[in-house]
Amino acid sequence: MKISRKWLQQLVDLTDISDEDIAYRLTMLGIEVESYENLSGKYDGFVVGAVLEVEKHPNADKLSLCKVDIGREVKSIICGAPNVAAGQKVPVGLVGAIVPHNQHDPEGKPFELTRAKIRGIESEGMICSESELGLGEDKSRIMVFEADAATGTPLAPYLGLDDTVFDISLTPNRPDCLSHAGIARELSAAFSRKLAPRRIRFREEGAPVGESAKVEVSAPDLCPRYSARVIRGIKVGPSPKWLKESVERIGMRSINNVVDATNYVMMELGQPLHAFDLKLVAGHKVIVRRPQSEETKFTTLDGKERNISPDMLMICDKEKIVAIAGVMGGMNSEINDETTDVLIESANFSASSVRKTSKELGLSTEASYRFERGVDPNLTVHALDRVAEIICDTAGGTLAPGIIDVAVGKFLPRRIELHVDHVNRLLGTRLASGEIKRVLESIEIPCGKKSETVLTCAVPTFRGDIERDVDLIEEVGRVYGYENIADSFQTKLSFDTRFQEEGAIYDLREFLAGAGFNEIVTNSLQPADLAGLHESAYVTLANPISEDMAAMRTSLLPGALQSVGLNLSHGLKDMKLFEIGRVYRVTDDQQTVGTFLESDRISIVLSGTADPMSYDRKEAKFDIFDLKAEVERLLRYLNLDSWDFISYDTAKEYEQSLKLFVNGMELGLAGRVSEMTLKKFSVEQDVFFAELDLSKLLALRRRTRRFKGLPKFPFASFDLSFIVEDKTPVAKLIDSLRSAAGEMFRDISVFDIYSGEGIPAGKKSAAFSVALGSEERTLNDNDIAGFIEKAEKKLSEEFSAELRKQKIV
Amino acid sequence: MLDEIQKLKEEATASLTGLRTQEDTENFRLQFLSRKGSVAQLFEKLRDVPKEDKPAIGKSLNELRTFLESEFESAQKKIAGEKRADTGSIDLSIPGRKRYIGRRHPLTKTAEEIKRIFTCIGFGIADGPEIEDDYHNFEALNFPPDHPARDMQDTFFVKADAGKYVLRTHTSGVQIRVMENNKPPVRVIMPGRVYRNEAISARSYCLFHQVEGLYVDKNVSLAELKGTVAYFAKEFFNAEAKLRFRPSFFPFTEPSAEVDVNCFLCGGKGCRICKYSGWLEIMGCGMVDPNVFKYVRYDPNEVSGYAFGMGIERLALLRYGIDDIRLFFENDLRFLNQF
Ligand SMILES: [Zn+2]
Repeated sequence: MKISRKWLQQLVDLTDISDEDIAYRLTMLGIEVESYENLSGKYDGFVVGAVLEVEKHPNADKLSLCKVDIGREVKSIICGAPNVAAGQKVPVGLVGAIVPHNQHDPEGKPFELTRAKIRGIESEGMICSESELGLGEDKSRIMVFEADAATGTPLAPYLGLDDTVFDISLTPNRPDCLSHAGIARELSAAFSRKLAPRRIRFREEGAPVGESAKVEVSAPDLCPRYSARVIRGIKVGPSPKWLKESVERIGMRSINNVVDATNYVMMELGQPLHAFDLKLVAGHKVIVRRPQSEETKFTTLDGKERNISPDMLMICDKEKIVAIAGVMGGMNSEINDETTDVLIESANFSASSVRKTSKELGLSTEASYRFERGVDPNLTVHALDRVAEIICDTAGGTLAPGIIDVAVGKFLPRRIELHVDHVNRLLGTRLASGEIKRVLESIEIPCGKKSETVLTCAVPTFRGDIERDVDLIEEVGRVYGYENIADSFQTKLSFDTRFQEEGAIYDLREFLAGAGFNEIVTNSLQPADLAGLHESAYVTLANPISEDMAAMRTSLLPGALQSVGLNLSHGLKDMKLFEIGRVYRVTDDQQTVGTFLESDRISIVLSGTADPMSYDRKEAKFDIFDLKAEVERLLRYLNLDSWDFISYDTAKEYEQSLKLFVNGMELGLAGRVSEMTLKKFSVEQDVFFAELDLSKLLALRRRTRRFKGLPKFPFASFDLSFIVEDKTPVAKLIDSLRSAAGEMFRDISVFDIYSGEGIPAGKKSAAFSVALGSEERTLNDNDIAGFIEKAEKKLSEEFSAELRKQKIV
Repeated sequence: MLDEIQKLKEEATASLTGLRTQEDTENFRLQFLSRKGSVAQLFEKLRDVPKEDKPAIGKSLNELRTFLESEFESAQKKIAGEKRADTGSIDLSIPGRKRYIGRRHPLTKTAEEIKRIFTCIGFGIADGPEIEDDYHNFEALNFPPDHPARDMQDTFFVKADAGKYVLRTHTSGVQIRVMENNKPPVRVIMPGRVYRNEAISARSYCLFHQVEGLYVDKNVSLAELKGTVAYFAKEFFNAEAKLRFRPSFFPFTEPSAEVDVNCFLCGGKGCRICKYSGWLEIMGCGMVDPNVFKYVRYDPNEVSGYAFGMGIERLALLRYGIDDIRLFFENDLRFLNQF
């Protein structure tokens, strides 16, 4: 909302207070000034000049040589406009002035006027066009002012621009500040300046208003008050300069003297008004009611046909709808050039009704904005008087005596008791009862003393937001000043087991970062087809920003691939990434909220070179075993010591894939992402991806394993290799070797898988490094020979394996 | 005998200086130090030495052996070292192999810093659902239905059950859940992801992360809130951080305030980041509204409380001087590797 300082000045005396101070104090009162602009600064160095003589430039046909009186002296100025003539009052820019808009620059950048010779003759300034001053479109002609403009007047005050415009952002609880009067009230409290007394002058004539028009409110639940006045014999025309400038200054379009007057009063007092052409109101009767069943369409004055629904409130005459209450008037009763008699509506409508209507119509107006936040029901009559004064001044006409005023009752101040100790307890202050009273009365809330410690406050109807003592306490804090409340920091330390965080997630992040993974954070909103890829019961949004973000993610894979794709597009090809994030789906059962299940996942992404940029080693691309290695490393870090990867070929998004099980519980998937999936993200290199259920993982982890004494005797390590069928899974061989070792088993790893020369076709050689140990003694050659014999027999029986060689270290 | 020892010492020393190859050293060992070498032979002769001379000669013989062994060892090492350097001239200026460096995301780092600061003074941590019902996201937080306050946050609605469920617009729903399930006093912070239906730009994204805090106990005051926030700002920004509390409005707090910190980028003189005001907005806060207490069955005459909320992205943007919020979600390695 824009607020003009000049306008405020008519309501409260702000003399000697700087713009900066006004902005600061308003902000500190909770009325945030986002910015302010001193308009007069725009036209420094420009004055109103009087053209005395015009003659042709001796060296150029299209240029004129002008003598221009600028008050103190006469300047000679060269002008290229065809319309320049002696006797005109024109805007003159002097040397040093900044011309806001350069007509010859494609971007229109401002430029500084310098003393310049044009075709051999010096020009001491410039006569400007509307376009050059940024005041309009016209660039071919210079701007010409009224003949009575005073020569030498600086341009800003002449244009009414000796003003500052504050741009204010208001919280929804303060509709009382949606006007100059409301802001003036706050400033009067902030600077202890008295509000200017309101004097409204108008003359009523002729037959009483009740003979010209009638009002009937048949939906008082939605319209607590409807007031109206009638003015006859007006002449609709352009607004006078002051009115036009005032409404334009705060960003409204000037329409005509009647409409501008209603807008002006709304911006001054906060009461939305609407003017009807009385002749177009059938039967001169206004009926406030809900629409009838056949009334489903209505054309508002912006020319758009609107759908009407039965709960909306309408302003009607005897035959038809003439306005949507509190939102917008209709074409059928709009003020036009032929209008002579007007009925001015100044009403109070139900906030929630106006809000619903405005939302349903998708139509928000200055009026609806105010009504849905709440307008003072006691403002209708005062606003009518003020608008009558202005219309009679600017459009003539005679004001019918009296006011039509239909109301559900009287609107009285709300009485609230305020306990002094409650104020101090909540704010942490030590204010005396008298101080509280003084603070509240500065914002027009009179307080009586019920007792030494209790005040009785009468909250005026313009502060509909104050309903309880706590609301008054806020007012006390706000006006007393939060900056005047001393900080207190006496927090007592406590340990509360109810709110302990899972610390392992922090550890995991540290661990993965240390293992060379960059953490990523991706969008949890996705296109529906991607969400559907992993889970058919995904969550969709009713009002997405776009189809690209219409569903909640069901996997961390799409976000990861997007991130891989982005980096590839920048030429970064090697990456190790991880993410900890949520996925969402709909279940059949009741969950914390509805049937929505949110689970935490951890993902691991490998793509590119496993060992980037080594000068002497062969470049090794990541493969599925690097992925397994990282997953296994994570499991080991969480102190898990056994798990199973089961081949799983039905996942569409993977080409080689494994399901991970720990203690029979499925933890997630790991695999090489399929070409088809990669294509969707324009990723043209292999991506290895694992996604595990984080909550399950953390539940399974071993937290505090008790310390186990260190082995007393050294392990015996040796290598073994077997020749087996090509398709025999190595993991099965390991299981067998493990069971053959029994209690002696300590560790096993695969160090070679080989087929080719020296190995029969269809077979492979698998080489293992085995460590055995005992708690009782150092194992001897017989123990090991015994194991090898047992292992050879077992593997030969189970897999027809043939012992190839052994090496004892 | 002593002359013989001296002679052998001279002979062996001369021989040591001539050692060049491993073969030379082996020969030397055989000649002087082996079981049948010259030194051993002298020890044999010790048997025939008169008893009274034995200690002196034995001592000097031992000294000779120790001396020769140590000299031999260093000569051996020297030769081995020369040999290694000879086997190819390695350019040690070649850079080491590159390895992956992992880092936590700047949003994580910021969130963890905030958590650390509050857990240090006794705050616990609570979590809650991102898909929230209207009751916990709005109603119990004192947003009446059809109230303009609901416009303060552009809300995503879940398609199923027509408007009954939303993507939470703040983590305040967790405040309600914490109070519903726990008797006062409660002191928690609630970090989490929240959503706003706003066009994506450098300044706003469809989601962001918040940390909210809640403290309910007997006699919690606005002054205590101010002191706690001041502690946070000094820890998070710097010890000189100056704060300003401006009255504001949130349906779930009364009184409410917006907190600004003096712009540390320009020292309060005014710059582009602080929009030439010298102040940066960092959080909203206030005293829990009695209506909220009624919803969770706390007695507003018994307890009072404060709540605050801040955007992790906003704090990270300010802290690192990042000018585009989208960078947090693109995961460009050139960005991630800076933190
Ligand atoms: Zn700054």
